[in-house]
Amino acid sequence: MSEEASAEKIEETSSEEMKEINPKEIMDFLKPRLGARHKMWLNICAHCGMCANTCHYYTANENDPKMIPAYKIRFLTEMLRKKGKIDREYLQKVYKTVYHECNMCRRCTLYCPFGIDIAMMISLLRGLLLSQGMAPTGLMKAVENYKAFGNQMAITKEDWLDTLEWCEEETAEELVGVKIPIDKKGAKMMYTVNAREPMFYPQDIMEVAKIFHVAGEDWTFPSETGWDDTNLAMFCGDVKTARMIVENTFKRADELEVKQVAITE
Amino acid sequence: MDFFAFVEGPLLWIAFFTFIIGSLVRAALFLFVSREKDKIIYQHFSWKYVLTTIGRWLLPLNKSVIKNPVFMILAYIFHFCLIVLPIWVYQHVIYWEISRFEWSWVSLPVGLADWMTLIFLAIALFFLVRRIVSPDIRLLSTFSDYFLLIVTTLPFLTGYFSAHGTLDGILFFKNNMQLLHILSGELMLILIPFTKLSHFILFFFSRSATAIEFGRRGYSM
Repeated sequence: MSEEASAEKIEETSSEEMKEINPKEIMDFLKPRLGARHKMWLNICAHCGMCANTCHYYTANENDPKMIPAYKIRFLTEMLRKKGKIDREYLQKVYKTVYHECNMCRRCTLYCPFGIDIAMMISLLRGLLLSQGMAPTGLMKAVENYKAFGNQMAITKEDWLDTLEWCEEETAEELVGVKIPIDKKGAKMMYTVNAREPMFYPQDIMEVAKIFHVAGEDWTFPSETGWDDTNLAMFCGDVKTARMIVENTFKRADELEVKQVAITE
Repeated sequence: MDFFAFVEGPLLWIAFFTFIIGSLVRAALFLFVSREKDKIIYQHFSWKYVLTTIGRWLLPLNKSVIKNPVFMILAYIFHFCLIVLPIWVYQHVIYWEISRFEWSWVSLPVGLADWMTLIFLAIALFFLVRRIVSPDIRLLSTFSDYFLLIVTTLPFLTGYFSAHGTLDGILFFKNNMQLLHILSGELMLILIPFTKLSHFILFFFSRSATAIEFGRRGYSM
């Protein structure tokens, strides 16, 4: 249900004012992140076209050759060849392709004779755009929130605990004895949610509490960051923040000594 | 030393060494760099993923064959002929026998070798036409795609001509076809490590790396 709202946000494009692109910045971003695999793939792609009809953007656009996955990563080759000497307009073209013509589903990789992971390279390009201040505003905002609050909706620890508290109270009116355990050490399962749930859909949390209560599950929420299981940083190639988000969840699971982590959505 | 002697002597050595050492360096470079930058391959390494994926794609037992059967089957035949012909065609076996190594192994029946060459050339022509005619592949194609297809085809074309004297009507070809054949073969060997033809060895690394990446998520490539 959160899909529509986030789709809206992704539609808007934000880009910093037309400031000059520094070739050195481009290369400094790409060089350390280009692995042996990227280099090999850019090298050996035989342009056989087997990926073409595996891409839903290709088929949905009446087999538009520009939608062939192997064609979409030409930007990476071009930027490396030009040693990062590109302009803002060029980056806009890259933006259009990596955000509007590929959703990194990786289906083309399944059909590629060499197993070339196009999505990984698209992700790298998204990361490059982010480093130049270009990403959908919704995503950029979310990434800032993750960095500051550990969740995409900028919910503070107080708000989070407060929400869980009144959720528990209200649910208990319907179903006597319902508990929403917080930081229960040694519980079997740590439950995580989309941060939109405490923000916009607390009824989801209440429903889940009822189900767990009736099913007799041994579960808990963590009070500290790590309870948001969305990872929007991943979608703009911000590997560092994406990693921090996942590590938070793992850290909480370790601290609470749970056996499982349940992830919604 | 005249040119022919140079081509069938020192240049042949250079070609073979460039091909072998260059390919090994390409492979070593991948292993070396990936150890630093693609640690995930080693953290999740499993022979199960690696052997399964290589088996499925060396043989036509994969998804792409079902999705694009015509192209894929032709590509398999193309590569089969490409590897088998130079090693087992009887004219080559004879040269190994009379060489300093005196190596000898079975050779293909002449008729079969001829047919394989013709099929190989026909498929190469199909690939070339497809590249030019298909709007998809034309957009994707770069200079090296055309160039390397021609480089790969030339040794087979000149090999067929020199075995059959097809162009002997033209004096230049009559005198030089064998020279052209050796030269074109050497050109291909020398280019392999430096171009996308290196996929003959990097195929294994690329497939393995991706199969590990997908395998650890429970998908068998």
